[in-house]
Amino acid sequence: SSGKSTNHIMTGSNEYKLNQGPEDSISAVKFSPSTAQFLLVSSWDCTVRLYDVGGNTMRMKYQHTAPVLDCAFYDPTHSWSGGLDAQLKTHDLNTDQDTIVGTHDAPIRCVEYCPEVNVMVTGSWDRSVRLWDPRTPCNAGTFTQPEKVYTLSVAGDRLIVGTAGRRVLVWDLRNMGYVQQRRESSLKYQTRCIRAFPNKQGYVLSSIEGRVAVEYLDPSQEVQKKKYAFKCHRLKEEGIEHVYPVNAISFHSVHNTFATGGSDGFVNIWDPFNKKRLCQFHRYPTSIASLAFNNDGTMLAIASSYMHEKGDISHPEDAIFIRQVTDAETKPK
Amino acid sequence: MAEGGDVEWELSKENIQPLRRGRAISALHQALTQQQDGLSSVINQQRQAFESELRMYEGDDPLDVWDRYIKWTEQTFPQGGKESNLTTLLERAVTRFTEEKKYHNDPRYVDLWIKFAESCPEPLDIYRYMQAQGIGMTQASLYIAWSEEYENQGNFHKADLVYQEGFKKCAEPHDKLLQFHKSLQARVSRQVMMEVEDDDSDEEPKQPERVSLVDLKYRGKKKAIALVNRTGPAIRSVSGGLQSRGAPVLGNASNTRLMIFDESKAPTAGPSEPRLEPWMAPPTSRAKENEKRPEKWCDVKKSKFGHTVMAPPPSKPTFQPFVDESDQPPTMTPCKINPAVNTVLSARKPCREGTPLKRLQEHHLQQKEAELGKSQEQSMYCKDLLLSGATEFCFEELRAERYFKKIAQDTQEVSGQKDHSGSSAAK
Repeated sequence: SSGKSTNHIMTGSNEYKLNQGPEDSISAVKFSPSTAQFLLVSSWDCTVRLYDVGGNTMRMKYQHTAPVLDCAFYDPTHSWSGGLDAQLKTHDLNTDQDTIVGTHDAPIRCVEYCPEVNVMVTGSWDRSVRLWDPRTPCNAGTFTQPEKVYTLSVAGDRLIVGTAGRRVLVWDLRNMGYVQQRRESSLKYQTRCIRAFPNKQGYVLSSIEGRVAVEYLDPSQEVQKKKYAFKCHRLKEEGIEHVYPVNAISFHSVHNTFATGGSDGFVNIWDPFNKKRLCQFHRYPTSIASLAFNNDGTMLAIASSYMHEKGDISHPEDAIFIRQVTDAETKPK
Repeated sequence: MAEGGDVEWELSKENIQPLRRGRAISALHQALTQQQDGLSSVINQQRQAFESELRMYEGDDPLDVWDRYIKWTEQTFPQGGKESNLTTLLERAVTRFTEEKKYHNDPRYVDLWIKFAESCPEPLDIYRYMQAQGIGMTQASLYIAWSEEYENQGNFHKADLVYQEGFKKCAEPHDKLLQFHKSLQARVSRQVMMEVEDDDSDEEPKQPERVSLVDLKYRGKKKAIALVNRTGPAIRSVSGGLQSRGAPVLGNASNTRLMIFDESKAPTAGPSEPRLEPWMAPPTSRAKENEKRPEKWCDVKKSKFGHTVMAPPPSKPTFQPFVDESDQPPTMTPCKINPAVNTVLSARKPCREGTPLKRLQEHHLQQKEAELGKSQEQSMYCKDLLLSGATEFCFEELRAERYFKKIAQDTQEVSGQKDHSGSSAAK
């Protein structure tokens, strides 16, 4: 399209659209752990792309044999990714070399890295979580979950798994012999996304029906009393409340505040301590599929991409926006 | 292979739920071998395939998928139970098509309803609901199942009236209905004859009695030993013999005289035929395993003062119980049960419970409201598709299914073209 050829299309003074975006829906955006320069993007067009955010160029891309559902950095030079072909790939971003590390029995839905235990974690619709040693690289164990895995997040050495049937399981990555906690989502509808607090004390869970829950890992009653949930990503039109799925959550690493993105096309930033919304950005062209703050919390990558929530219908173009965020937008007041 | 299957079958007969149409022995062997160590991935894959077919189906007979899925579930999970999801599946299936008039007298749909009713605590309520909705009105199988339910409860009068209703509605197949009605009449007349015989029970039983797990008692003038009663509602001998007793005798009344149903003394309080009425009061709770109905505590006797006698609490032992030193708890259990953790588990939401019939009606109401545009909230995604099966799907799964379907079609087309070009080249 014509938009892709021109550099730095500004949708505001503090925001621009990435060039050479994926050709189909975007499944995940992830910033490099060490620098704000690189962004990894996986897509339904079967590619994983690496962007130079500062220069607004695509540095490289590699292919899977089927759409890719998630990707993650292991270190600044290695990406891991998996998708509908059920294959887990690692890619050396310096040498452009592919390695197939292993497979699941069904599509891989989530890929995460746990720096504390130095292990890659994948979750799949085959009802299992698998651990992978990133150095060898090889499989380091398969752990059956009660249902299909829809989302997972790492909090220190703990792994929080969200599955179908609204179940939440907390595992100890240092001792995978048993499930540390079995929980039920406190929300009534399907779990879309779980992300752990950077301070490792809890997690935020979003559901398919416009609601977000803030939960704590410490099982003591005193701490559990603090948990709560709230409604968001709902729009009132002609007296009817339209309730949208909340697809994406990303934490600000410094302030422990978080951004949520919904199928309404809005991005909100929340202060979980004072239970307040800090700000809402303008409406993006279509559903927010994925969100990522960079390592120091000065930038937010926003994937605006239709997720086929209402079937295969015509929809606005998929796009990734890079937005500079300020303390005024992200710091608790 | 066959031997191994035989062993499985021999070892787990008691875990196999009977089916009206019986079971395929090959499927049974397979299911029993597969399920030795939990749910195999093969079963999960097959289930996922059915689940996606439910959602992707584009033909004009969506009931077919449900029918096959439910039959597969019955064959694959011979022991039934929660894992099979059968009750949920049946409930979803019958709810799904309540508005589809074309299925209302489809034998497959009516069969699903009957299976659903049989899994509910109050099947009669479901049959009445079906009647009110006009489902299965021309299907003989409904009247047969309905009548059998009345018969099991000992109400022969109503059991007969149900057949009359069936004849009035010209239910098909007529022969089958007639045949079942005749055998009901035969059973009832046998009961009556039994009663006559009982009156002059000087003689010993003419045929050897079937022995049941009840103590034998003295009866009659000669104190002849004879079978006294068989409890439970399921006493119905199909194969002749005058010994079967009709009305179930409940409780520990084994030494009391039998209550025998007398048609002429049948209660006339109720309406003379099953009334066409919308279902009124909510029946008891949902069919759950291991659920005990509230019942009389028959062993508890009231004292003169109206207080129940309670055993005094055992006093604390004055000695130290001996504990074996080597008896240590296992070092690791599969799941750590930390009492503090338990508080985190939120209780199951009460709204999920309620009776199947109540949920059916709620669904009905919601549909009507949605049609009228009354609902205040609208979900902005394909909610019906995600939740239509026994397990939920997410957007990505649905889209993945569409993707795989398209890939399969494309490869088929390519190979078709190749065949075509190959054959044309041969020409």
